Amino acid sequence: MTLDPTLSQIRDGLRPFRRRLWLRRVVRDGTFSLAAVMGLELALALAARIVPLEWGRVAAAAIPLLGALALLVDAVRVRPTLGETALALDGEQGLRDRVSSALEIALRSPDLVEAPLAAEDAPTAEGTATEDAATYARFVRLQRRDALSTLRAADRRAFRPRLQRRPAAVTVVLALLLVPALLLPNPQSDVLARRENQRAAAERQAEKLEKAAERLAEGRTAPDPRLDLSAELKKLARELRERPEDLDAQLARLGSLEDALRARIDPANEQRAAALSSLARSVSRLSSGQDSNPGGDPKKANEDLARLGEKIDGMTKAEREALAADLAGLESTARQAGADAQAALRDAAQALGRGDATGAKDALGRLGDALERGARNAELNRDLARTANDLQDARRQLADAGKPGNQGQGQGQGQGQGQGQGQGQGQGQGQGQGQGQGQGQGQGQGQGQGQGQGQGQGSLGGGGSNARFLGSGSSSGGFGGPTAGNKQFSTGDIDKVLADFGRLGKPGDPSYVAGTGGDGQTQQGSGTGQGTPSDAFVPYTGVFQDFYDFAITSLERSTVPLGVKDYVRDYFSSLNP
Amino acid sequence: MTEQAIEPAATRLSPEEFADRARAIEREVGRVIVGQHALVRQTLIVMLANGHALLEGVPGLGKTLLVRTMAEVLDCAFNRIQFTPDLMPADIVGTNILIEEEGGRQFRFQPGPIFANLVLADEINRATPKTQSALLEAMQEQQVSVARQRYKLDPPFFVLATQNPLEMEGTYPLPEAQLDRFLFKLWVPFPAEEDLIAIMDRTTGAETATVEHVASGADLVAMQRLARSVPIAPHVTAYAVSLLSATHPDNERAPGLVREYVRYGGSPRGAQALVLAGKIGALMDGRYNVAIDDVREVALPALRHRVIRNFEGEAEGITPDAIIRSVLDAVPPPRVD
Repeated sequence: MTLDPTLSQIRDGLRPFRRRLWLRRVVRDGTFSLAAVMGLELALALAARIVPLEWGRVAAAAIPLLGALALLVDAVRVRPTLGETALALDGEQGLRDRVSSALEIALRSPDLVEAPLAAEDAPTAEGTATEDAATYARFVRLQRRDALSTLRAADRRAFRPRLQRRPAAVTVVLALLLVPALLLPNPQSDVLARRENQRAAAERQAEKLEKAAERLAEGRTAPDPRLDLSAELKKLARELRERPEDLDAQLARLGSLEDALRARIDPANEQRAAALSSLARSVSRLSSGQDSNPGGDPKKANEDLARLGEKIDGMTKAEREALAADLAGLESTARQAGADAQAALRDAAQALGRGDATGAKDALGRLGDALERGARNAELNRDLARTANDLQDARRQLADAGKPGNQGQGQGQGQGQGQGQGQGQGQGQGQGQGQGQGQGQGQGQGQGQGQGQGQGQGSLGGGGSNARFLGSGSSSGGFGGPTAGNKQFSTGDIDKVLADFGRLGKPGDPSYVAGTGGDGQTQQGSGTGQGTPSDAFVPYTGVFQDFYDFAITSLERSTVPLGVKDYVRDYFSSLNP
Repeated sequence: MTEQAIEPAATRLSPEEFADRARAIEREVGRVIVGQHALVRQTLIVMLANGHALLEGVPGLGKTLLVRTMAEVLDCAFNRIQFTPDLMPADIVGTNILIEEEGGRQFRFQPGPIFANLVLADEINRATPKTQSALLEAMQEQQVSVARQRYKLDPPFFVLATQNPLEMEGTYPLPEAQLDRFLFKLWVPFPAEEDLIAIMDRTTGAETATVEHVASGADLVAMQRLARSVPIAPHVTAYAVSLLSATHPDNERAPGLVREYVRYGGSPRGAQALVLAGKIGALMDGRYNVAIDDVREVALPALRHRVIRNFEGEAEGITPDAIIRSVLDAVPPPRVD
């Protein structure tokens, strides 16, 4: 089929106009898209000022992308057909439907799409149907020629892209509103930062809990209660990771488990452990005649007692009586070590006094077992106490992360008030070392934009941190509250009364209370604006109550000899402003 | 029933000849009728569409003169019927009379004034409905029936009726069915002052304007035939239909005036009038295609008598023209941006 050349030329002539019309449509719809993007961005920015939107930045970045994508899809969709182009051209240039009529009638009369036949212009009988059809065909051809000449005379610059006034104006207004909405400080940023801290703290504490769980489960076999505790800790860690935002519930779970653990801990465990160690050391010395078990290892003590039992048969009566007396001398220590050990020791001494070698051997064997069993119980109690401390520390860290960050404030010099935002985060390490002079030191270091350093002195080694931040042109900062206190300590001069110096600070010493180094914490703030230095340095009178409360709480929750408690109270009383 | 008709020979015209002749007719009529260019053009459109027109205007505006001049320019047989209350149908279509011929008596049909190419029905609303209805068959079928005999009217056949909107006492308003048979209802406006001055000069001087025959009845028939062959694009036809539909109060595109004040919208004859008149308008402008503007230009005369107002519309003086204009506003030409 040969297309009517005139029709073909009309189609070719319309193509440049179609491209221009397409561009105009894309520009028009692009203006609408831009207005929509601006509107959505403004709505998002306003919403982010009312409620904390954690996905706000992602959405803000996604909106323009979605707008561009929508425009791309729309650009494909609005590509005009030749018929639409003809209609638009007729309308814009006042062609009185010449071009569109030529195209539409070609569609309507497919038999007239082909090139005209010579016979069409031949004369036909007047007043006949054939003549009417020929007239119609002539009109169609005339229309096409007319349309083509009109198209050629049409302005080539038709369909200039033009901005839609209303959406363009709306876009400008929205953009002007968007600038302050984005640049002015957003109060919800603090909330978001706090949540982020909360999640990070939850993750950290979950890791710690998992490590504690692994530590508890390492080398244990059922029915060791530490395995159950390990499973419980892992469950807590999992819940912390899954629902970090559910702060109250997490704190409640941690607190519940901590309370349950503390209820199981023997308050006199360390005293009993020290007595067991001392008793083990003493019975080893009785068996070997020298200080062969300075660490008070109960297993070695058990072995030494077994060897001592074997020696009984070969002892003279005087040697047995001497041994019975030595054993009787250890009764006060055995009483502190536990009823089993005390009974076994007393039975051994009495059997030796009666000359009952068999009974003495049996009693010494029971004494060795009691020492090992007591040592295991002491170790269990220590594990429970350490885990309870871990839980307490995790709880505190989580609670601190959930608190609003310190906000630095600056005062403008004659220009109002500066604003700043602070975010507290830091890590500190508490470390303590017992000394003969009874002094402990704790240090905490903060990292970040601010620096904090804390020192604590005293028999408790209570650490603290003092954060300071001096921002450029402003000052803001927050004082880091008391951090985890240093748990290792020495009893100072009081120990001189209780024990000789050589055993101070070592396991087995009755005055030794195992502690764990706590993580110090520094809260730091950052801010902008002009201001005068704020009270980054806090006088001790301002924080005395915090330290005092912390110390008293620690005293109540930890196993501390009564004398030491009084010492601590006296220390704080002397500092009380 | 027998038929008697005479078919004039039609000549073959080109679109350019059509436009030339139409311009010549307008020019010749303009030599007598001062101003009123739109009225002349619309009257010519009616004749080229083989339709009938109802001219409405106050006395003295040249309605009769226009029709008479048209008849002279077109070299057509012209009859004028002055409608009065006592006018009988036979006075219009004719009657059989008894005559003696070749030694015997027989009835012979005596044609009435309707047998002409151009019939001026002057003050048509003064005749009784019975007499008015005598025009119905002639206007629609272009034939009359008398005593079981059917007589074809020679083409071209036009009825140009006039009515006076002021003197309504003792008149019989045309029924809707008869109004619908008029292609256009033309409103004869009062001349502008400069036109009135020209009228004074022409009518009060010694010379009388004369016109020449520039077309014959056969030419008119050929022009009518050519006009019907003009192809029209579907979107233009669709627009004409949309316009008509919007005159119906229950149509979704109907404007508020139509919904509130129109009882019935236009009949399909209205759309036919729009399309046909559009075709003729395009040819008269020298174009081969019908534009939407051609349709819009003839919307008022083609639809104003086909819109039946309700009681509220008549009571509040809402004119049919206002209603049609609101329809034109409500149905704008299709735009593609």
